[in-house]
Amino acid sequence: MSVQTASIRSAVLEQVKLVAEQQKKHLAPLTDALPLLESGLDSLCLAIIVANLEDELGLDPFGTGNDVAMPVTLGDFIRLYEHAG
Amino acid sequence: MRNVVVTGGSRGLGLASAQTLARAGFRVIAIARSESPPLAAARKELGDALHFQKWDLADIAGLSALAKTLRKDFGPVYGLVNNAAIGIAGVLATLADARIEELVRLNVTSPLTLTKYLVRSMMTQRAGRIVNISSIVATTGYSGLSAYAATKAALLGFTRSLAREVGPLGITVNAVAPGFVATEMTHGLGDAHRETIARRSALKRMADAADVANAVEYLVSDRAANITGTVITVDAGNTA
Repeated sequence: MSVQTASIRSAVLEQVKLVAEQQKKHLAPLTDALPLLESGLDSLCLAIIVANLEDELGLDPFGTGNDVAMPVTLGDFIRLYEHAG
Repeated sequence: MRNVVVTGGSRGLGLASAQTLARAGFRVIAIARSESPPLAAARKELGDALHFQKWDLADIAGLSALAKTLRKDFGPVYGLVNNAAIGIAGVLATLADARIEELVRLNVTSPLTLTKYLVRSMMTQRAGRIVNISSIVATTGYSGLSAYAATKAALLGFTRSLAREVGPLGITVNAVAPGFVATEMTHGLGDAHRETIARRSALKRMADAADVANAVEYLVSDRAANITGTVITVDAGNTA
């Protein structure tokens, strides 16, 4: 794992925890296999995470030219950002 | 100063809204393909309260870059007035396919996509205002405006559901539905038609661009903090 992908991973995980706390959501234990639907985050939380990560990392996997659907697992979500970097 | 983006801000209702918002203490960024002489004059008068950003809003793929440019040059965006639109009149049976496509792209796809990118800035700030300029033809029928009316009705549906979506973050989303207002868009109506519209209105006159701009400014202001998902009709009672 390169330094950059490691830092992207930690930035994503940090935002997940931060937004869950702000939105008063109870997070399931975070593993790559965790389905996002069972993570405790709702779609609004995920949208806030995407907005915050665009600010922080300058990455937007859901932007123009990226025809992607919302990923299924937390691991898929993190990989989207790693590949966008 | 809080930033408010006004699309189609060089003429008509957009220019009137941009000027009113700038005078109310917002920093307004007017977006249009080219700067009109009245906008240039208004910018001279209003200084840092009114800026011009040249952009082609019909280029959907470029809207994400527009949002980035605005955030880089001006900082977080507090308000967005989706005003830019084209008015194409014509009987549907003979309206060119390309015109229908053009109407939907500029009047619907473009504001939805630009809102997608600018609402993110509001989400991270936990505050924001979105005002969509619809029209009375969204809910009342006028022969020759079916395609245009469809695009304006689309904005009402967009307004209500987006209000639900982003309300928990302190962002309000409302629409203004002007009646027939004397602007370049309605120039082709002719005096006789205009007189008919005025005669059929409760107040026996037409609303003007300043009336619409006042409604927009109110919805963007702090006074409208508890108003979301609704429509203000500004038509001098034409549909009353």
